[in-house]
Amino acid sequence: MTHYLRLSSVFLFLFFFACAAPYKDLQQQSAPTSSVLKFKPVFDKVLYRCVVDGRVVFKRFHLSGLLFFKTMEDGSTRAVFQNEMGLTFFDFEWNADDSFQVNKIIPQLDKVAVIKILEKDMNLLLMKKLDRQTETVFTSGKEKYHRFDLQKGVAYYIVNEGKLVRIENAGKSKVITITLGNKGAEKAMPASVFFNHHKANFTIDLKKIESDADE
Amino acid sequence: MRSFSLFVVSVLLSCTALGQSKGFQPVKNVQEFQATLSKSNASVNTISSDFSQTKNLTLLADKIKSKGKFFFKKEDKVRIEYTSPYTYLLVMNAGQIAVKDEQKTSKINTKNSKTMQSVNRIMIDCMRGTVLNNPDFKASVFENGNNYLLSLAPVNESMKKMFKSIDVYLSKKNFDVDRLVMMEQGGDFTDMDFSHTQHNIALNDALFKVK
Repeated sequence: MTHYLRLSSVFLFLFFFACAAPYKDLQQQSAPTSSVLKFKPVFDKVLYRCVVDGRVVFKRFHLSGLLFFKTMEDGSTRAVFQNEMGLTFFDFEWNADDSFQVNKIIPQLDKVAVIKILEKDMNLLLMKKLDRQTETVFTSGKEKYHRFDLQKGVAYYIVNEGKLVRIENAGKSKVITITLGNKGAEKAMPASVFFNHHKANFTIDLKKIESDADE
Repeated sequence: MRSFSLFVVSVLLSCTALGQSKGFQPVKNVQEFQATLSKSNASVNTISSDFSQTKNLTLLADKIKSKGKFFFKKEDKVRIEYTSPYTYLLVMNAGQIAVKDEQKTSKINTKNSKTMQSVNRIMIDCMRGTVLNNPDFKASVFENGNNYLLSLAPVNESMKKMFKSIDVYLSKKNFDVDRLVMMEQGGDFTDMDFSHTQHNIALNDALFKVK
């Protein structure tokens, strides 16, 4: 019994240690480095195949559709999610100053918490609402972590060998990990994006579709 | 299951037609039209067709295009298969609906849901030509030189929130569904054009099963 308790306490310690301090070993970089904002995506329009998987309590859910990003002439950005057969689930807009609004959302998704999560996901991916004044750079092995203070928590943009490969959102523990695949040019939208919501317990998988939308 | 509501929408989309267009006049004798439609459809046991779909995002001044294959087999089997630029499959068979995307297959038993029964019915009604009898929609019938237009307005409140109307364009030559358009509240619409339609070709039942 004593052995069991001792073992349990070791695991508990490791568990809390892992949860509470995922960025503990980062070394702050003092030498000047260029801002990660050089990777902020610039695009006309991009279409992704989108698959969402998750679980609420004991119920699993799965849905798929298309996520369409477009930069409008007035500098605003739109993100429209629809199912394969064309019905729009939501239409989000950021004006040129990154102010966010919901143009349309189906009743099933029209919940404050859902909208907040989706807005944050898009903000992180599109690198919106990042205050350059708060950017601090850390290193961990070969990777550079560019940290920004958010309204709640922080965002890390992780660069490996000159490429933006990952985005992480954390508070006391890691909240979201966004893995970027084949970003190509610095300002291009990645060919694939995988959102892993560690707390909300769901994932969003985006794969770019070519030759899809036209004016 | 959360995918349920998405699915409802998907199925409804497959019943879309052009919204009431200019140049269409109300059909004077709807009963006569209905009788002719029923008679024509009575001889059709299977339908096979290609389709191209265009989602018109009005405010974004943009379109999203896709295409695929459509199959119908009496009495109640439907297969809608998107082939480009993505793969997506929807099958309806005897009250069961299955959707398969690139990662997963989901199955829904419409018997457990009144909404899904409604969706299932409108889908089948569109193909069988019995849509005017559907109590979930208020139907109006119009015509021009080439087409009949069945304009369906949802009666159900939850459906109304999702779309404004479903319009079905039928060829006057053979009562084939030429075009379907689903108008959403807010002005976006999805337009499906059907081509290379064939009647009464042999369709294996395996087409209407999803593994």
